[in-house]
Amino acid sequence: MIEKHVYDFFAKFVFEKTGIFYPEKDYYRLDSRINKLITQYECKDANDVYTKFTTSRDADMEQFLINICTNNETYFFRDDKPFKALVDDMIPSLQAEFPGKSLNLWSCASSTGQEAVSVIISILEKFGNSVPFSFDASDISTDALTKAKGGIYTNLDVQRGLPITLLVKYFESVNNGDWKAKPEVSSKVRFFEFNLFDKLFPTNKYHIIFCRNVLIYQNSENKAQILEKLAQALVPGGFLVLGAGESLIGTGVNLNQVTLSGFMVFQRPGLKSNVA
Amino acid sequence: MKVLLVDDSNSIAMVVGQMLKEVGHEVLRAKHGLDAVDILKQHADVDCILLDWNMPEMDGLEFLQHNKEHNVASCPIIMMTTENKPEKIVLALQNGAREYIMKPFTQDILVSKINSVTEGAA
Repeated sequence: MIEKHVYDFFAKFVFEKTGIFYPEKDYYRLDSRINKLITQYECKDANDVYTKFTTSRDADMEQFLINICTNNETYFFRDDKPFKALVDDMIPSLQAEFPGKSLNLWSCASSTGQEAVSVIISILEKFGNSVPFSFDASDISTDALTKAKGGIYTNLDVQRGLPITLLVKYFESVNNGDWKAKPEVSSKVRFFEFNLFDKLFPTNKYHIIFCRNVLIYQNSENKAQILEKLAQALVPGGFLVLGAGESLIGTGVNLNQVTLSGFMVFQRPGLKSNVA
Repeated sequence: MKVLLVDDSNSIAMVVGQMLKEVGHEVLRAKHGLDAVDILKQHADVDCILLDWNMPEMDGLEFLQHNKEHNVASCPIIMMTTENKPEKIVLALQNGAREYIMKPFTQDILVSKINSVTEGAA
């Protein structure tokens, strides 16, 4: 039996660090997380781990909790449409707007890296190496980032969303059943740890930002705060790609909603030739 | 959708058959490539074939090659096998397989691969 003050503490801590909100009615969702903490730190029970966490935790213990509270669900070419809009609309539009410039892309909740790999493959398939770009990919979960940086995916990972022709073209077989993205893909992305609640946020830097399936876990205040910072991180004319079903509604953030290849994206105003 | 499962393993046939029936597909079973050729003569309306590689009589690759010459199946063919070496995958694709499922796999993977090759089909 976990006491309410223990739930209250961990719910508040996770919210402040990640924005992931556990209302009292959902405290049961913390049970498995607290139990993992108990096991990992060899504590007797929830009270014991609460005492350890509140009196003698270190950065590793905090990060362990963050890692087990974040949802790392992802797969290749998730939802499909954003990748078509990327190569059919966003990149041609940006190339016209910023001729000769290298495009800066950011996957700001990259999890284990499938989104970044899908974006890079999409660009290579459509444009070969003719589009210069740099790709930043970040996540709050260091566990997810370790896998992303390793670039090795299991048999099951590569069968989720990745057409077989692209698997044999862009991956090599390793470890008897696992697959590793070839250097022509993996060398194009830089993975790093980043918390969307960090105060130090890039500004006027990115031409395209992917922030999919993050806002659904946030309350309206945090959602507005993240969107405002992402909007500022875009160059004027840059695009923000959210998850299917995510929108700016209720946030007041100044981005133009545009539909590209049947998919809704958000563009920072400020260019005469905005798509909107 | 009518799916022809070509696999000599009864346990695989049972599990995959159950996965497919759960999502509303009709399942036919052949135990090897020659068996599949016979079944296709009677069932021209098969929408998709799931094809194992290692089987007696006529194996999966031989079935693909036979199909290239004799056009016994006009529907998409998905290899479904433990063979997971890139050169094997490429060989299957070169011989007419449209997709490739590596065992083990989940129901989600099975269904999405079938959907990916049958989308847009009449």
